[in-house]
Amino acid sequence: MKGLLSGFTAIAAKEFLHMKRDPATIVIALFIPMLQLVLLGYALNFDVKHVKTAVVDLSRTSESRTYIQGLNNTQNLDIVSYLPSPDQAELALRRAEVSVAVIIPPDFDRHFGTSQPPTVQVYVDGSDGQVARPAITAFAGPPGAARSGGVQARYSVLYNPQIRTQVYTIPALVCVLLQLITVSLTSFSLVREREQGTLDQLMVSPVGRLGLTLGKLAPYSVLGMIELFVVLALGCTIFDISIAGNVLLLALFAVPFIMAGLSVGLLISTIAQNQAQALQLTMLTVMPSILLSGYISPRDTLPGALYLLSEFIPVTHFIAISRGIVVRGAGFTDLLPSALALCGLSVVLITAATLRFRKSGA
Amino acid sequence: MIDATTKNAIEIKDLTKRFADVTAVDSLSINVTSGSIFGFLGPNGSGKSTVIRMLCGLLLPTSGTATVNGFDVIKEPESVKQSIGYMNQAFSLYKDLTVDENMTFFGRIYGLQGERLEARKNAVTDLVGIRGYLDRRSGQLSGGWKQRLALAVALIHEPQIVFLDEPTAGIDPVARRDLWDLLFELADAGKTLFVTTHYMDEAERCSDIAYIYMSKLMVHGTPNELKAIDEVTPEGLKRVSVASSQPSHALSALKSQSFTKDATLVEAEVHLLLPEETPDATIVSALKDKGVEDATVRPVEASLEDVFVSLTRKLEKR
Repeated sequence: MKGLLSGFTAIAAKEFLHMKRDPATIVIALFIPMLQLVLLGYALNFDVKHVKTAVVDLSRTSESRTYIQGLNNTQNLDIVSYLPSPDQAELALRRAEVSVAVIIPPDFDRHFGTSQPPTVQVYVDGSDGQVARPAITAFAGPPGAARSGGVQARYSVLYNPQIRTQVYTIPALVCVLLQLITVSLTSFSLVREREQGTLDQLMVSPVGRLGLTLGKLAPYSVLGMIELFVVLALGCTIFDISIAGNVLLLALFAVPFIMAGLSVGLLISTIAQNQAQALQLTMLTVMPSILLSGYISPRDTLPGALYLLSEFIPVTHFIAISRGIVVRGAGFTDLLPSALALCGLSVVLITAATLRFRKSGA
Repeated sequence: MIDATTKNAIEIKDLTKRFADVTAVDSLSINVTSGSIFGFLGPNGSGKSTVIRMLCGLLLPTSGTATVNGFDVIKEPESVKQSIGYMNQAFSLYKDLTVDENMTFFGRIYGLQGERLEARKNAVTDLVGIRGYLDRRSGQLSGGWKQRLALAVALIHEPQIVFLDEPTAGIDPVARRDLWDLLFELADAGKTLFVTTHYMDEAERCSDIAYIYMSKLMVHGTPNELKAIDEVTPEGLKRVSVASSQPSHALSALKSQSFTKDATLVEAEVHLLLPEETPDATIVSALKDKGVEDATVRPVEASLEDVFVSLTRKLEKR
């Protein structure tokens, strides 16, 4: 037994010294669980309420207004827009501006008190089941305000009629995996150059900063693009998902997303002194982005500050684009706001990485 | 452009670098003549690396000026970088790339391409004699070949000045001599070599030496000029070498003698610093008393090691 345990105290004391000499690792190790607690606590909220809802009121009577008021009072639905026609409502759904659209027919008021109860048409966006299911419950479930006054709701789920989980998780999972790969690919590359001393050899050469940054990004972005389509094709095959929209559009919008992910990796590698720190920082950035991006629980459940923060996370926008194209068949103009946000973020991130690189090299 | 008539390859004037409250380099002024092998010496932490980083355009000086190949390191760092080669003490090329790929990469970084790139690669390949290893991953080369490749890469863009930061650290004596033969060839061809080293035999091979200590320039001159300076062999003292069959015993015996100012072992002989008037017979008889019977004494001139040891000790006493 003595032999088995010999050196225990010496090893323990030495490890303690290592910890003391590398305070950054300790701080990060303590900081990550605290951050996780806060983020998981707030972000993992599956009680979906306040589903964004559009109303098309073709009746325009006191009865229809009372009904709309009743919907809003349920807390399950938030009426965010009044639209003039069912076509407009469908566009709003495709653009993910709303998740539910309620169409009140012109003859809505005339059915009150008759043998045929008044009926409204409800469209539910099936591209996020965690939103779609509670929305349906609001209309179809046992007595609720949404059915008040004997109003019948005829609902149909658009885009993912059976609300199959994989149909909306796979397009988002592909984005999350692509982000993980892009960030970690580049975060190691510069750190490796620093550890091997090749960074010095580069710095004494007249190589341009932007040339270096973009030169590092280019090959990995090709890899990222291949990765995206291989994983997407595999996911769609295994889980029997048919892509509703244009795949080339997805490829186009993937460019700024991949660049943004790779730039985050570069940024990490200008900060990290060794590969262990690079790994820690990668986890530190990737993990919150997964929680806040809408992949795990809908972004609408996030409290205000975190919701705002999630706007600055590239994968948030790319998940919106991916679900839009794959599930709802959204087109170029439908997704333009998300695409522009991605472009803006990637330009900022590439600039930041290039500037940071100048500092860390000097 | 590089002026062929420029006499000084590097001109350094009052160069100073401060980090927060630490002065790493304190008003350094040196000129390095074109075509010389300039040995830049000093203990670890004396500021050598900081000087090299400033001369290579990697670090801005706090004050003072320096020109390299006529380019101002503050105003034209990119021109400086294009005109110099740099070889690090640690092997700093891509280990997973082949010899040929490393040369191609760095050649292209310096703007070489096409036939010109091929011609330069051929030239440096033949210069360092690495043709037999072109397809070998550089990480699999032995220490000496790695350094040859590093030199080839440093020379790929035909720089007029090459900075070599401890180029022979950790390689075997044969490879070390081969590398120095290459350096002499380069100097003969008109290149200026700025070399740091801790090896005294390498310092002896330099045409000029500067010694810095505690951020300041201590001495600057040819090896012979340095050996002749007064502090090394102060007035009234002389240096002798004592040969015997028991050198380490002789060393401890001599260290306890009142006439001994300094004693050290060099190649199995005791090098002794002592008053000029002490006769050789006194040394021989002192050793006989301690059991060393066969001592012989001959005069010897100061070595560069003597120069640096005596200068450093003198400064440490202050």
